[in-house]
Amino acid sequence: MLVLTWIVVALCLALGAWAAVRALRDQAVILRQLFAAGAVEAVLLVQLLVLGVLQARGAQVDDGVTLWGYAISMLLILPAAAVVSFLERTRWSSVVLLIAALTTAFLQYRVLVLWSA
Amino acid sequence: MTPAEPRNAAHGGGRVVVFVYGLLALAATARALAQIATRFAEAPLAYSLSLFSGLVYILATVALARSSRGWRTVAWLAISVELVGVLAVGALSLAVPEDFPDETVWSQFGAGYGYVPLVLPVVGLVLLWRTRARSPERGSG
Repeated sequence: MLVLTWIVVALCLALGAWAAVRALRDQAVILRQLFAAGAVEAVLLVQLLVLGVLQARGAQVDDGVTLWGYAISMLLILPAAAVVSFLERTRWSSVVLLIAALTTAFLQYRVLVLWSA
Repeated sequence: MTPAEPRNAAHGGGRVVVFVYGLLALAATARALAQIATRFAEAPLAYSLSLFSGLVYILATVALARSSRGWRTVAWLAISVELVGVLAVGALSLAVPEDFPDETVWSQFGAGYGYVPLVLPVVGLVLLWRTRARSPERGSG
């Protein structure tokens, strides 16, 4: 669980930095960035699976509903940014991707806190 | 000649504002549903407010993403409600904290969300103002 969280955070920060560079250069999101976002989504799905298995095996979580709320909400953010990057072919799509990546990283942190509580 | 129609607020930088609204809508609504589902009795006022603010954010997101006059009016109203909400609940949560035993999006002026709930309505209103319909004779500055 912990390893997966750090993988997601690292990937999100890298993707965010990439998006920030492109935003500063006045460039829109490119397909390769969306593949990277897809990779993050894949790790998130694995995490969801691990979360489910650990809980099924009896791991105790204080606030399971909120934890799952975060885990599921997190899945929606990068795809939403991907939709925007198709609609908006300017630097602003890069800003949206940056915000999406940072938000996902932050939610990972919240999941980590809830999980360790 | 620039027509006297409002411009679509959800273009260019406006797209970023709509996206952040969407995030806040998701965060507030999901959190409120989780709170109400698990422990509504602990803080009925705070959780009801959470849900209300979530619904207003959803409405504002949809309205901002659309450019018709009707939707723009909805956006003006929804965003004004947000601004009043965050100021009122922010002040109340500091004045009578015992009524707010758990956080809402608007508690402490949105401190739990990096003050985004405080800043965003102002940004939204500025965006609506800047994309409003202008009469051609006054120029399209």
